[in-house]
Amino acid sequence: MKVNTMHKKFTFYLLALLFLPLVFSYCSANLQSNQIQFGITAAQRGLWDEAIFRWKKAVQSNPDSSAAHNNLAVAYEIKRNWDEAKKEYETALKLSPNNSHIKANFENFMKNLEAREEDDTKKKNEK
Amino acid sequence: MKNNKFILILFLLFFASCSSVSYFRVDVEISRKAIFDINQFKEIIVTDFFIKKESDSFDLNQEVVNYFTTQMKQNLKPEVSSRRISFPNEEIFKDKSFWKSILPDSQETVLFTGTVDYLEEVRKAIVQTKKKRDEAFSRDKAIEERRFYTINLNFYFIDAQTGEVLYTQAFKETQGYKNPKQTGAFAFYDLADTVKVKLFNNVLGTARTQKRYLIKD
Repeated sequence: MKVNTMHKKFTFYLLALLFLPLVFSYCSANLQSNQIQFGITAAQRGLWDEAIFRWKKAVQSNPDSSAAHNNLAVAYEIKRNWDEAKKEYETALKLSPNNSHIKANFENFMKNLEAREEDDTKKKNEK
Repeated sequence: MKNNKFILILFLLFFASCSSVSYFRVDVEISRKAIFDINQFKEIIVTDFFIKKESDSFDLNQEVVNYFTTQMKQNLKPEVSSRRISFPNEEIFKDKSFWKSILPDSQETVLFTGTVDYLEEVRKAIVQTKKKRDEAFSRDKAIEERRFYTINLNFYFIDAQTGEVLYTQAFKETQGYKNPKQTGAFAFYDLADTVKVKLFNNVLGTARTQKRYLIKD
């Protein structure tokens, strides 16, 4: 009876030991291969150049990824590269026209762009 | 039983570490350039304003000059002071020689001036009011009064050296008050605050934070 219980315990801990490294290696492998997630992590730390690099890679490997295009657009917006940002938002919206997050990003971006253009026109008129 | 719990926790940890939300929110600072960059000057001289319609209850010119002198001192980089001048007429804003003569030897100095009028009116309207507490659904008609104050400010930023108008902008703000005892002087500060925010946005530029979504896939 005692031997049986010990055997069960041993099997359980052995399984647990095998299972844990599997979990961590799976997650880290997944993270490393996922350029989008990598870019997000970089962006959250303020490393926008690194994020752009990662999301460009993601676009290269999958040009139909609306997430990669959207994220690139956000990064270009931060970098004040309005033309590229607009292009990327438009591509992202073409790929996922019903995505509410992309829509919200694009609407806010366009409002700012229009306000900026209005300011520039006012300035020109003043001159 | 204990072992089952341990396995359950392991599974939960597995899913918590590998599963994730579909989006992340990040802050984006959106800056808007100044339409007329006031900080390029060393000094701002706030002069008197041309009063188109005076307020009955307070000295409108004095309040406008004091208010904007104080606000500019607090918010702008250049040195700010005020100077008394007298206006022959409203057309004077186009007369370069007049403005040049105020501070003939000045450099990098801008004159801040303009026209102002202040209107007060009482508007009446018939409104429906509840009759009594025990007659919650019955309504009565009554006349209610609101006091409305309107300020029209037309600002001019004039180069003291050349007398040229560098930037001009007009504002019209109206505010209504339920309180019949509301004074014009008190309302002036509410209206001036609104104008100030808009004016300073144009001469200083603004920065505000917006949210953007980063999508995981």
